[in-house]
Amino acid sequence: MPLITAFICYMLRSARLIGYVSLAGTVALASAALPVIISAVSNPIGMMGSMFYMDALSGYIMALVIFLSLASAAYSIEYLEHEMKVGLTGIPGIRRYYALLHLFIFTMLLVTAANNLALMWIAIEATTIVSALLIGLGFSKRSLAIEAAWKYIILCTVGIIFALLGIFITYYATISVMGGEGALNWTTLRAIAPKLNPSTMKLAFIFILLGYGTKAGLAPVHNWLPDAHSEAPSPISALLSGILLNTAFYGIMRFISIVDPSTGSVFTGNLLILFGLISMGISSVFILVQVNYKRLLAYSSIEHMGIIALGMGIGGTAGVYGALLHIMNHALSKPLMFFVSGKIQANYGSTKIENVNGVLSSMPLLGTLTFIGVLSLTGTPPFNIFLSEFTVLKATVDKGLWVVAGLFLLFVALVFYGMLSGFGKMLFGGRETTEVAEKEKGENSHTISVAQTSLSSVLNNGIMILLASLIIVFGLTIPGFIDSTIRQCIDIMGAK
Amino acid sequence: MKNWIEAFSVIDYISAGILLTAVSINSFRRIEPCVKAYTLNSWLLSALTAASAFMTGEAHLYAASVVTFFSKGVLIPLFLRKIVKQIKATHDVEPYISNALSLAISSVLVIVVYASLKQGIFVTGLSENVLQISIAVMLIGLFIMITRKKAVIQVIGLLFMENGLFLSGFALTFGMPLIIELGVLFDMLMGIIILGIFLIQIRKSFASSDLDKLTILKG
Repeated sequence: MPLITAFICYMLRSARLIGYVSLAGTVALASAALPVIISAVSNPIGMMGSMFYMDALSGYIMALVIFLSLASAAYSIEYLEHEMKVGLTGIPGIRRYYALLHLFIFTMLLVTAANNLALMWIAIEATTIVSALLIGLGFSKRSLAIEAAWKYIILCTVGIIFALLGIFITYYATISVMGGEGALNWTTLRAIAPKLNPSTMKLAFIFILLGYGTKAGLAPVHNWLPDAHSEAPSPISALLSGILLNTAFYGIMRFISIVDPSTGSVFTGNLLILFGLISMGISSVFILVQVNYKRLLAYSSIEHMGIIALGMGIGGTAGVYGALLHIMNHALSKPLMFFVSGKIQANYGSTKIENVNGVLSSMPLLGTLTFIGVLSLTGTPPFNIFLSEFTVLKATVDKGLWVVAGLFLLFVALVFYGMLSGFGKMLFGGRETTEVAEKEKGENSHTISVAQTSLSSVLNNGIMILLASLIIVFGLTIPGFIDSTIRQCIDIMGAK
Repeated sequence: MKNWIEAFSVIDYISAGILLTAVSINSFRRIEPCVKAYTLNSWLLSALTAASAFMTGEAHLYAASVVTFFSKGVLIPLFLRKIVKQIKATHDVEPYISNALSLAISSVLVIVVYASLKQGIFVTGLSENVLQISIAVMLIGLFIMITRKKAVIQVIGLLFMENGLFLSGFALTFGMPLIIELGVLFDMLMGIIILGIFLIQIRKSFASSDLDKLTILKG
């Protein structure tokens, strides 16, 4: 389905029309996929022999992919109209952008639906390639974006080569269990998992964690992430951060469910806790000294991936539940933040924190949304991330890992301070300084009137308000169907 | 002919050749011989696959050999040569460290691999050396990537890593199912082409293909 949309978008020549066609394409995709996902949650389905397979876990991630595609397709329309107006892109750029956007969505859907380890690897590598094009050539040809895309594709390809080595090793391990033909299907692997040679699987897991960890932005190998996120167009940053990292992490989660029965969960757990803590530590330090708000958000993504890894590592029902819930919450809050930061960037023409002041007074709606997003990201109660962070923390304390819990709290507090001091200044600062700064920038500032009432801006604001209201609703209560889906996922993961 | 292959340990010779072509990258001062070394490396990889296909009589290995030859032995080298021509800057490699030192370090890498894999995974392959050599080639590729300034050489290092990876997959498992191998090859091909596009973009916007200039984004 996204393939068709990509093709249509490439053929169309009217800038306005393409946007709405792409939106219609994602809506059609969502309505086609929804019944499939709902039926997959209750009982798994396989397709095309054993190439594709869906259960609650893949359905959960897939639903997030589709929801965010919808949001970012809706947001893209106005974003690109604005970019057109200031001359950063033309019709060919827009056509390329939408075609690539839908290819990107297609590859991410492929990741979640693949039943085969190697097919999933292929899909993940394809996401790298397509999204690198979106960052670097998507439309505006800026040298910084090319630098970011170069770094991104080189680092992720090297990382993912190691992941393929891990897959080879797994295949090797299955050959010795099954004789002649090995197997790479999740379904088969799950069945024979306890028989696999533990030391071989440990080696394979290290390679997989390194490879997909690079893609998921875990800390020692995260260097591509801030560049790519800050240089990409805002709707793409939202997709990258909100869901691409999660699809890579989904690869790791699938792998854990085969490695654990073989090696015991202590080994994988300790590695994940270590990586999670390093991620949180490094990102919290960088958040404190950051001067660019889009990079600030990128580091916050690393922090949240760290929390998810930590939750998975601690394991147990509570830990895994927290991690899965956190995936969803992060996928709701982070896109909201990237969407609003895209609008702030459009209005102030800068991504430096010091150049932005008094958003709350000059643009009340946008300011409020930003405020909600920041509070949610830093884990302030009544918002959703507080719930999942609290669940992870509770799991840590239940297991008696006091050092881990202490470090967790320390890093979260550092991030809280860093984020609030950065965004607080942007939100509440005086207006006068803004005007001076804008005069200095002269023609570089692309101020547009906020009070546009075209259809695209209504859609744009609507999608942000929807995200913000979801954040608040999920902060107060977890709806029943999501709760039961997550519990299904925990069963699939085999957490004890 | 089977006896002939075994008696002269052809597979060992070919894999030694693969290792040598990888090590030789360290000593070149210009980009063109590096591309040639990569071409030779891919041909050897394809020959090795063919030889073992002959030994085991598995049909899909023959196919893998042919596909390897055409994609890595013909297509990618031609593409690389075109890119090198388009980048009209000096064709010097400009390593961060001297060639002698980098040769020494790569040989140390090979020794480390051999020492650490002496007793490790038990290998199903035809020769005991193939797995060690494949890991060594991957490490050398990585080493080249981090010690050279030119963007093209980084791509070549990546390609060497990938050849090493294919070799290791082959040593561990006699190759994956064909459809998987094709998919992986296709992905890699696309990746290389896109890296090529970016290379030209870098050249255009920074007026240089040195990665020294790509240091604006930090922190």
